[in-house]
Amino acid sequence: MSKRQRARLFRGVQYLILIAALVALALAADWGQIQRAFFNMEVAANLFPSVITVALGNTIFYSVLGFGLGLGLGLVLALMRLSSVGPYRWIAGIYIEFFRGLPAMLVFLAVGVGIPYAFDTRLDRNVQVMVALGLVGAAYIAETIRAGIQAVPKGQIEAARSLGMSPARTMITVIIPQAFRIILPPLTNELILLTKDSSLAFFLGSTLAQQELAQFGREALNTNQSMTPVLVVGLCYLIITIPLSFVSRGLEKRFGKGVARKPVKPGATRSGGQ
Amino acid sequence: MERRSRRIFHPAVVLAPALALTLAACGGDSEGAGTDSGAATVDGIELIAEGTLTTCTHLPYEPFQFREGDEVVGFDVDLVDLVAEDLGVEQAIIDTPFDTIQSGADLDTGKCDVAAAAMTITPERDENIDFSDPYFDANQALMVPADSDVAGLDDLSGLRVAVQASTTGKDYAEENIADAELVTYEDSGLLTAAVQTGEVDAAINDNGILYDFAANNDDVVVVTEFPTGDQYGLGVQSDNDVLRERINEVLAAAQEDGRYDAIYEKWFGTVPGDSEDADSDDAEGDDAGADETDEESEVESTETSEN
Repeated sequence: MSKRQRARLFRGVQYLILIAALVALALAADWGQIQRAFFNMEVAANLFPSVITVALGNTIFYSVLGFGLGLGLGLVLALMRLSSVGPYRWIAGIYIEFFRGLPAMLVFLAVGVGIPYAFDTRLDRNVQVMVALGLVGAAYIAETIRAGIQAVPKGQIEAARSLGMSPARTMITVIIPQAFRIILPPLTNELILLTKDSSLAFFLGSTLAQQELAQFGREALNTNQSMTPVLVVGLCYLIITIPLSFVSRGLEKRFGKGVARKPVKPGATRSGGQ
Repeated sequence: MERRSRRIFHPAVVLAPALALTLAACGGDSEGAGTDSGAATVDGIELIAEGTLTTCTHLPYEPFQFREGDEVVGFDVDLVDLVAEDLGVEQAIIDTPFDTIQSGADLDTGKCDVAAAAMTITPERDENIDFSDPYFDANQALMVPADSDVAGLDDLSGLRVAVQASTTGKDYAEENIADAELVTYEDSGLLTAAVQTGEVDAAINDNGILYDFAANNDDVVVVTEFPTGDQYGLGVQSDNDVLRERINEVLAAAQEDGRYDAIYEKWFGTVPGDSEDADSDDAEGDDAGADETDEESEVESTETSEN
């Protein structure tokens, strides 16, 4: 048997094992039960349209709020972390370690219960969601941005400075835009994580009109005694996250060209090099 | 590295105040809202939002509170509606985890005015919440798969028993079944599903919800009740006596003029009273601590409740 034949045979056996495993799995499953539990069309039909208009809408709304604050705060923290002023670095470091290390659920409880106890004031619920998600998101985003900024070739700063730009202007017009291109994939990752973390808004209490996907699904699961709602809201999450991944990949392709690897204007960025 | 750091320092200085401003703006907004709502007073009762009696509950707990279309309905909802009506305001319902309701956190932090969540009055909860007069008599019940041999507490040793987090059913199980493995579930739906799928051998929870579930599902049965003398109360923030007394007045009036009975019949199909005397006798016996009498009285109360 030639090497090639052996490789082909080997691959064939792998396929066979895979198919056998799938068949065994399919035979072992209780399809009637699965259909009753997960594909109860009557239950599914009852979830519409509010699963889209209310739950999906709120999940997107909360995620955008949280990501917005997280991005802003994360940028500030990243710059603080890179600062030459000690206290700035320490504050950012402590913040990042703290909020990156805590389960998001605790942060939600702290915002929902802790803030009103501590300051005797109750934030608007949307602000609560934004603050809780933003605090968590900012810790991760800050590290991502810091890594992105440090990944921009030093020559870029030197070139900009030698053109007479101020340090702040260098950062804002040259470094940060390039850093954002570099960190687009991890940033998308973060947005997806926050989308899922928005389910913790449940801990802040909600009216029916404020329910997001996970809570909506859990409540419907309890009401209908069927797993179908879980499947439906699961699909709704994918409706958000999968297109997001595609958009991110598209953006990456478009922007990716601008980064170090292939300068837009050859020569211009290289001149300041080592 | 050193040098770059120094350059980066400047934008941080520029951006930090901007963020501080944003945060301050958020805080300012909500503080404004806070003072607005603080001013909403009806007959000396402070409400957290104007024109609204805000209720905290944990959904769903059929038939006490559950979703129907875009509304929350149920026994508790109708009762609190009577209170809201009396105050001349509308009821607004907020769904929140049961833990933060029964710990008093939701009331203390001004998330809601009233907690109506089929909540049993217990001494521990009483420390953090002020309860209204009892509005419902409840027992703990035991639900098992239809083909199970389990008939009572004694049969549970070595089995897996489902209980719901932060409930009196969990406390009861912990105190009374020593050698069973207790499995805690967050929601009543997860708990009942666990019995159906065989994940657990039995479940202990309030009788109202288990009977309701068993009536709609042939594969499970409620085999017995434990007359614990549980009574549900509406919760208000500690020392909010004005609201508590108003609620008590409304409850008493409703029980007097038949509105309570009508609501009871609407959700449970029976009128309270027939079996109530027997139940409360059992409850007192149980409070005295005689666990043996439980077994005898269970049969009785099961019969009365199923009628």
